[in-house]
Amino acid sequence: MIDDQLPKGYDSKPRSESNGDASQPVLEIKGFSVAYRSRGGDVKAVENVDITINRGEVVGLAGESGSGKSTLAYGACRLLRPPAVITAGSVRYNGRRSNYTPVELLDLDRDQLRKLRWREISIVFQSAMNALNPVLRIQDQLIDAMDVHLDLSKDEKLDKVVSVLDMVGIPRDRLRSYPHELSGGMRQRIVIAMALTVDPELVIMDEPTTALDVVVQREILSQIVELKERLGFSVLFITHDLSLMMEIADRVAIMYAGQLVEVGQSTDIHHQPAHPYTQGLLNSFPSLRGPKRTLAGIPGVTPDLRDLPPGCPFIPRCKFAKPDCTKVEMRLEKVEGILGGKHFSACPIVIANNFKPSETERAHA
Amino acid sequence: MTKETHTKPAVSKLDSEPIESNEVASAAASRGPLVMRAEGISKDYRISRKAEGVISAVKNVNLALYARGVVAVVGESGSGKSTIAKLLSGHEKLTKGKIFLDGAEIQVGNRSDFRRFKSDVQMVFQDPFASLNPVHTIRYHLERPVKLHQKTKGAEVETELLGLINQVKLTPPDQFLAKYPHELSGGQRQRVSIARALAAHPRVLLADEPVSMLDVSIRLEILSLLDDLRERLNLAMLYITHDIASARYFADEILVMYGGEIVERGPAEEVTQKPLHPYTQLLVSSSPDPDDLGSTLKTGATTVARQAGSALTNSVGCRFSDRCPFADDKCTSASPPHVMVGSNRSAACWHLDKAVPIIHLDARKETVSDTNKS
Repeated sequence: MIDDQLPKGYDSKPRSESNGDASQPVLEIKGFSVAYRSRGGDVKAVENVDITINRGEVVGLAGESGSGKSTLAYGACRLLRPPAVITAGSVRYNGRRSNYTPVELLDLDRDQLRKLRWREISIVFQSAMNALNPVLRIQDQLIDAMDVHLDLSKDEKLDKVVSVLDMVGIPRDRLRSYPHELSGGMRQRIVIAMALTVDPELVIMDEPTTALDVVVQREILSQIVELKERLGFSVLFITHDLSLMMEIADRVAIMYAGQLVEVGQSTDIHHQPAHPYTQGLLNSFPSLRGPKRTLAGIPGVTPDLRDLPPGCPFIPRCKFAKPDCTKVEMRLEKVEGILGGKHFSACPIVIANNFKPSETERAHA
Repeated sequence: MTKETHTKPAVSKLDSEPIESNEVASAAASRGPLVMRAEGISKDYRISRKAEGVISAVKNVNLALYARGVVAVVGESGSGKSTIAKLLSGHEKLTKGKIFLDGAEIQVGNRSDFRRFKSDVQMVFQDPFASLNPVHTIRYHLERPVKLHQKTKGAEVETELLGLINQVKLTPPDQFLAKYPHELSGGQRQRVSIARALAAHPRVLLADEPVSMLDVSIRLEILSLLDDLRERLNLAMLYITHDIASARYFADEILVMYGGEIVERGPAEEVTQKPLHPYTQLLVSSSPDPDDLGSTLKTGATTVARQAGSALTNSVGCRFSDRCPFADDKCTSASPPHVMVGSNRSAACWHLDKAVPIIHLDARKETVSDTNKS
């Protein structure tokens, strides 16, 4: 199985301290790489990623499809099957039930993983609407998740199910419904409730509201935030909708071609994006408020991850690209922005020129 | 008819008597001549073969499409947006109402009628992964409509195909014709389905969520392609979306639907910046706003009304009343008529007088949450 292919220990290469409040990290991912083995060569879906999620924090992970967002999250939980292989890195989990002793996820065996998954780290899967079993009643599916981790009597389990469904605003009389009897928004809420049944420390949400319309989306998201405040879990929020992410996340990480290109507080990234790719993403969104902007989009397509050219992977689509860019080592360096703080970018041009590209762009617009 | 209403002075007629929503001039009218018009179209679906009740998916909708103009239909899932497209494209039969193309009422009696109609009215579907046949090449997808609608043969077909591929900016054209859908990215596939729609040389293009399945960075390219095509080919376009922000940028006129009815209509910029109907206000305030630093999503304070009501029942009164902060007895007993606001805007709400003073976005947010608290 995948366990055989896991490397022990992790890359000792020095890395920039890319992520904020190191006081209480729940999950620390360092130098993490995942490759999909294929005949045409390894597809490097995630390459040398460092990211930390602190207690009670919402971290957003954004990027285009195929940028490796989901692979990173699933890989960190060891949920990927061959041909996906974790080629390097470390994932340390640090929870209150383990007395804050860091646990290296990549070293755990199957039983240990089984105990940790869902109990400590749970996932709201992409297309959560279809993640429910169509032939089981809602209550049975929720109890199923509980059975593995908690030793409760039948009544206690039912009480718990009612209380989690109540948390997400689903009435008790829906317990015996089948998934097809519920609307998309309700199913989404149930999947979120399921992820919260055993009180995890970290919830990974992979595009939890993508298929829903905005009003329902906002209802569900405000519920998530409300619950997060109450129960104190952390969230890794994966989406391609940057404007939504800016609103919900404390910190945002932007991913391109399997690598992090920018990490920072969401306000910093919104006001002063320090990587041309982030700038392009932000410029692709029609804004609902304020004056109409000229929208630019990002020309070109995502690169072939089997054969990345040297240097920055964004070169072919970047309007600030210089010959020197092919020599860039992709690592996050601190940005001395106006807002300061914990803002990191992988683009040396932006860092050297103190946000020049962004200013040139604004002048054009 | 359009000309008359258009020249009316832009005075607020809030206090005046109700109007039919088709009396409102379309903001898209200035773009070009009227091509397609729907008058009071409705669609009822029966709940079951035995039971009596019906779900009225679309109720008394009036709309007009003008050459080079884009009309956006915005609303939540289940509000009847796609049903409108199905009715206009002839895929569903009307329960009530009439559809006119170039002033003549459309009567689809037999297959050849339908084919003639289809060569004028074409659709682009939401999911480019599902709307192309995986076992056929792009050539096959485009060749069939060309032969069917253009009656061309031999070498002409080839020029036509290359022209189509060029029109949707897939280069190099000859390579794309030989490819299968799985070899293309989402954006390229959507370009192919646009090319397929254009193969009939239509005059009306009905785009049902054409970009919602695509990546954010690609959406913009497809929308600007559509924008470019309507200008060059004189297309009249209906743009169905749940993303009101994209409608602001892309459309001339926005129709906001709720529960199968149009609750508000007007020029895109005005509807998004000064929404009149409480539902439009909810829609606009629910859209993600990166500038909103004190967002309720960060603090966890919920101000949004919790439960979405079942929109499609046959109840009397305003369909939005169970979610509306302004609702009172009047709203639950009688459906509100459209009231004209200016020459090209209207909204259907009994309490526009309450809703109107708080049209400014910032002010409105506070007022709505105040109302919720009390």
